[in-house]
Amino acid sequence: MKLAPVDYVILVLYFAFVLGIGWRLRKRISSSGDFLMSGRSVPVWITSLAFIAANLGAVELIGMAASGAKYGIMTAHFYWLGAIPAMLFMGIFMMPFYYGSKARSVPEYLKLRFDEKTRAFNAFSFAIMTIFSSGISMYALGLLLHLVLGWSFNVSVLASAAIVLAYTFLGGLTSAIYNEVLQFFLIVLGFAPLAILSVSKAGGWRGIVARLPPNMTHAWRYMGSPTENPMGVELFGMIAGLGFVLSFGYWCTNFLVVQRAMAAESMSAARRTPLVGTLPKMFLPFIVIMPGIAAIALTKMNVGYALPPNAAGGPDYTQALTTLMAQFYPSGILGLGMTGLMASFMSGMAGNVTAFNTVFTYDIYQSYIRPNADDHHYLTVGRVTTVVGVLLSILAAYVATRYNNIMDLLQLVFGCVNAPLFATFLLGMFWRRTTAHGAFAGLTLGTGAAVMTLCTTVAEGKGGWIANWHQFPSQMAQNFWIAIIAFAVCFVISVAVSLFTTPRPDKEMEGLVYGLTKIPHDATAKWYERPAPLTAIVIVLLVILNIWFR
Amino acid sequence: MDLRVPSGWFFALTGLILIGWGLFAPDATAPLTTVNVNFYSGIAMLVFGIFLLLLAWRAVRSHS
Repeated sequence: MKLAPVDYVILVLYFAFVLGIGWRLRKRISSSGDFLMSGRSVPVWITSLAFIAANLGAVELIGMAASGAKYGIMTAHFYWLGAIPAMLFMGIFMMPFYYGSKARSVPEYLKLRFDEKTRAFNAFSFAIMTIFSSGISMYALGLLLHLVLGWSFNVSVLASAAIVLAYTFLGGLTSAIYNEVLQFFLIVLGFAPLAILSVSKAGGWRGIVARLPPNMTHAWRYMGSPTENPMGVELFGMIAGLGFVLSFGYWCTNFLVVQRAMAAESMSAARRTPLVGTLPKMFLPFIVIMPGIAAIALTKMNVGYALPPNAAGGPDYTQALTTLMAQFYPSGILGLGMTGLMASFMSGMAGNVTAFNTVFTYDIYQSYIRPNADDHHYLTVGRVTTVVGVLLSILAAYVATRYNNIMDLLQLVFGCVNAPLFATFLLGMFWRRTTAHGAFAGLTLGTGAAVMTLCTTVAEGKGGWIANWHQFPSQMAQNFWIAIIAFAVCFVISVAVSLFTTPRPDKEMEGLVYGLTKIPHDATAKWYERPAPLTAIVIVLLVILNIWFR
Repeated sequence: MDLRVPSGWFFALTGLILIGWGLFAPDATAPLTTVNVNFYSGIAMLVFGIFLLLLAWRAVRSHS
């Protein structure tokens, strides 16, 4: 693939706007709160789109097209079964405690609700995870640009890091959020034509259904047994593992996304952030997954399209998106599509860096290194941490060159760190008897259980480094079950230890726990500003989509 | 800063570039399609850009 001058014009124009937004926002920063939390003043339509855009990095974009090509429409479960219900739960039930507690980060909520050790555990593991994710984004970007356009890996990594650093350093979280929204529009407008062209070339959805095995075009029908569906997952593992533990763990406790909602201008806006976000999120599969499915249909049509082989000789699904672009996009829109990919890599990085600097500044630096300094000092620390975060990400990118499968690594991290976390929040927010010791014991043993499960089970030749007690039909099934086990262990241990330790007085937990928090009732708000009607609409649409693609 | 303003300008400008390129180089097509992708995508982007600018303009007017 080769870019024409017109492609470079669009590329340069986009990054000029990105840097311009950062430059214009620099005047808004006068405190650490402005820099790290957007001064809690961002309008709800922006936080909603940023909420889903923070997760729509290019790793996901390419990964979803690849999964579409590999597993078919079942991939949409990541959205329709996983993300949407979790986002609804987050907006309705959890946001009142996050926003109402006045916590500045997710780890800080844990400190307010439980104690210092639980916060430390979460803050440190999260900080490491964000640096890794950011580094992986960078690495994937460098690799892609090298593979597709023949650009130098080093130049790609360093140039993208410089752009991310420039706009996050200037405008802080607001700049990252604004650019995520711009990138979201770019992804939708830049990739919708690809979805339309590839699906219509394959004969529309009907043509795809006629050309593919039926278990790739049905989301639910082949879920009874893991041997019948391409993911190798059974109904319980899918619903409990992906639909409940992993998705709720990610969307409700991962500070990267929660931070976007916390930046909203009011409690009501914060609650609506994930709710409004579900509406565009629900339809993203048509843009990000459909092209992958269409790609497989096209390979069976003798039109001259085929997926390139990977090292093992099978089709390289990760190239589904870029090969389709090469086949359907002339120069011009091709530049726009490539810009969209680069932008989503960078906003993935920026999202991680802005979450990292907040957690580092407030939860690590202010808590353990230097408490009680004036706010200006923390603003400086926030800015310095931004630079350090980008440098560490570059380092992580070069570390990642030694690992082959990026998504696998990401999912291992999610499975082991995020899965037990949701049990801790669920108990912490809804059962006031949960004690600090209970939460900490549950969290650490839950994470330990996740690691142990990974080390004693095997899937597709991976895992089982200590023993081989169980063989999973697919890595996907293994990930889901690691999550289920981690959640269960964390839940049971937290409850058991809590019952044997002294409960905290109710008075100390006002605003932090269900039953002791006044949940605002927006009776005067317009119907579309209230959580209940919004949720009802989303659920109806969701049910229709699931029935349509059953 | 109203984000709709820079976003609107970006998409309006990009839309114009793509429309121009679609008209100027209508034979710029890709292997698997004969559609003038640039032209039609450009129109969609221009419309979206103008829509954002209109929203932003309306917000300014109702404030003052």
